[in-house]
Amino acid sequence: MPIDTERDNGTVVARPSGRIDSSNSREFQSELEAALTDSDTALVLSFENVDYISSAGMRVVLLTARGLQRRRAKIALCSMNESIRAVFKISGFDKIVPIHESTAEAVTALGA
Amino acid sequence: MTDTTESTDTHRILVVDDEPDLEPLMLQRMRRYIRKGTYEFVFAHDGMEALDALSLDSSIDMVLSDINMPRMDGLTLLERIPDVAPDIRAVIISAYGDMKNIRIAMNRGAFDFVTKPVDFDDLKFTIDRTLQHIREWKEALSARDKLVVLQNELNVASMMQQSILPNKFARSDDYKLFGTMQPARNVGGDFFDVIGLADGKVGLAIADVSGKGVPAALFMMSSRTLLKGAAMRSDGPAEALSEVNDVLNEDNDACMFVTMIYAVYDPATGELVYADGGHDPPLVVHADGSTTQLAMTEGIALGVLPEHEYLQDSYRLAPGDTVVLYTDGVTEAINAEDEQLGLQRLRRAFELSPPTGAEEAGQRVIDLVNDFAGDVPQFDDTTCLVLRRES
Repeated sequence: MPIDTERDNGTVVARPSGRIDSSNSREFQSELEAALTDSDTALVLSFENVDYISSAGMRVVLLTARGLQRRRAKIALCSMNESIRAVFKISGFDKIVPIHESTAEAVTALGA
Repeated sequence: MTDTTESTDTHRILVVDDEPDLEPLMLQRMRRYIRKGTYEFVFAHDGMEALDALSLDSSIDMVLSDINMPRMDGLTLLERIPDVAPDIRAVIISAYGDMKNIRIAMNRGAFDFVTKPVDFDDLKFTIDRTLQHIREWKEALSARDKLVVLQNELNVASMMQQSILPNKFARSDDYKLFGTMQPARNVGGDFFDVIGLADGKVGLAIADVSGKGVPAALFMMSSRTLLKGAAMRSDGPAEALSEVNDVLNEDNDACMFVTMIYAVYDPATGELVYADGGHDPPLVVHADGSTTQLAMTEGIALGVLPEHEYLQDSYRLAPGDTVVLYTDGVTEAINAEDEQLGLQRLRRAFELSPPTGAEEAGQRVIDLVNDFAGDVPQFDDTTCLVLRRES
């Protein structure tokens, strides 16, 4: 699973694509890890190209969030389709990681 | 994966011939490849010696053998090789035009042959082709072994999952219960439980563990045991979920989590008290087929946030009301057009004809998923637990 990433001033915007489930969640994890360096202070994970995420994929989001928070870096999610947004709401994950409408909003929120 | 003949691995080739001049000739003509480390040659002078070498030296990759030799000839050697080294392939050196022996050799499992006088370019080509085949064969074997290990692991996970599900449900005139789980091919982490409580009350749980396979199954086992204990000790569902969540958070570096609904039903009053731990809200199907989705209590999946305080809510069931607890394997079932089943289809299935009993309602959910999915393999377990208030 290729993750499209761009970096601006210590903020990384990562855009995975397709389905994220138990068949590729490990790959999702290692790609995310590879995209981040220790000097990055914030990650925006955009779901604009993601169709579906299973619990295995959400676990990776959680692991990544924990890792970042441990070293005082920030994370925000954004641009989810309706069903992914619902999954994050039902599971209560939206109370753990902030979710924004757009990448721009997420970047602004993290910068504040 | 290394697949060039110039690979760093030196291939060890056993040459079997009783004629003393082949050894120096081979070493001389192949010196370039020996120097590069592509090949290494060892020599035997008859079939017996070759078998001894093969059984002592497991690093030999292939055999290059003459046919006519004292003590044991090359054709007999071919028959005996599988006993000592089953993954070895042999190439036979035969007299030009000796089709009878060549045919026998091939029938006895020789991989290829070269003819005398030996053309060393042709021999090099034949050796490389044989080594390539051996490499592919070994890769196939190792892939098969991995598959067997994986399959065993999935079987273990599946057995663990099936073993904890209740398959008999207490009978009462006041209410009926039914639960069922249809496992996904790659074994998910769904479970449900029915827990007998004091004063005739009954605890109902449905849960979905993150991920698949053995790790999910282990997490599922501990979640289920923890819930059982907490259910019996606690005053209500919210307290039970809070207790399970705190224990699951204690040693959870892997960030595994479980979404769960835990509800306590009191048959005396028809009241259902429930707490949600990040799970899809249950659906109440009324006697006329209309449906009500229970209000969520805004809980977070268990194992994620320590000390999280879970809340509970209650709903009074009328006689004839049926509560359907389900996992997202139901609503996220996929059909051939890549559409999700969705909550609306589930509600409509009951609106079109109201359920007639707990088991009928549960079976209808599974049938709905199977009819919708058709031949499309499902990624997730399909689970539901149904409670119907009879009177």
